[in-house]
Amino acid sequence: MADDYFAFFGLPEKLTIDADDLERRYLGLSWKLHPDNFVNAEEFERNLSLERSSQLNDAYRTLRDPVARVEYLLARKGVRKEGQTKQQAPPELLEEVFELNESLEELQMARESGGDGNEMKALRDRLQAAGKSFEEKLAEVDEELTAVCAEWDAAIDANADEAKRSTLMARMNEILNRRSYIRNLVSNVSRELEESATA
Amino acid sequence: MYSEKVIDHYKNPRNVGSMPKNDPEVGTGMVGAPECGDVMRLQIKVNPETQVIEDAKFKTFGCGSAIASSSLATEWVKGKTIEDALQIKNTDIVRELSLPPVKIHCSVLAEDAIKAAIGDWKSRHSESASEPQASAASPKAE
Repeated sequence: MADDYFAFFGLPEKLTIDADDLERRYLGLSWKLHPDNFVNAEEFERNLSLERSSQLNDAYRTLRDPVARVEYLLARKGVRKEGQTKQQAPPELLEEVFELNESLEELQMARESGGDGNEMKALRDRLQAAGKSFEEKLAEVDEELTAVCAEWDAAIDANADEAKRSTLMARMNEILNRRSYIRNLVSNVSRELEESATA
Repeated sequence: MYSEKVIDHYKNPRNVGSMPKNDPEVGTGMVGAPECGDVMRLQIKVNPETQVIEDAKFKTFGCGSAIASSSLATEWVKGKTIEDALQIKNTDIVRELSLPPVKIHCSVLAEDAIKAAIGDWKSRHSESASEPQASAASPKAE
């Protein structure tokens, strides 16, 4: 049971999860599993409660986050294996990712070599604009993900066949691939903008 | 965790840079590994007569192993014919750089980049030979 986070919480394998409901289930279970309830229990029971408590925390951390939740589902179904299955991002996105990385690097180099104010400002402005467009992309990708998750939930409700489920999971996987690129860039850009502001 | 060879390529990367993408003798391969956010561009300049890769450049945004893998890839492809360069396997890169299992995907990326660059070069060169020109100005082909 514990290796299925959804079942752990008594939830169906659906991706739209009400945060308050999940929290209530989490608190209920943590109370039940709390080591204090097992002080007088047999050693194996005490160990089990400890083990289950830490699994519970992992499960909660995973299902609470809408993206981690999808990653978890895909990993469980063998669709997404870290470093094993080859993941690819669409070529247009790669180009943009590459260009943004280049502007990022230019600004870093200018900052490190103590570039003059005007040059730094121009580079920062350009990076800021590019970063903004990537933030918009991130929001779009998140919307896409939410939409596919809703489709997935409908498919579960309708007890859809494997083929339908695989198609949906492949789409989620593709969205997650784009998302990880974009998210990394957005955080790199904001970090660099912060650092170059104080430089 | 990095081997000496990785560190060497990382600190002194060979053949960093770029070549004009529109040069007909240049093939560009752009690949990425979304799991880690790496992106790698590898370019080759091929002599159309001999099919020998006369120059290679790369630029990689990523971890040390990704940089070392692509740096090594440019070293290896230079002087090879495109057919020979296609024989380079990611496992060769893993062996040469002693990459740990968690970094094997970096070598896969480098192999993909070589294939993509050669594919790009071939697509420009077979166009004139076999297919009729699919020029950018012509309306929908379908």
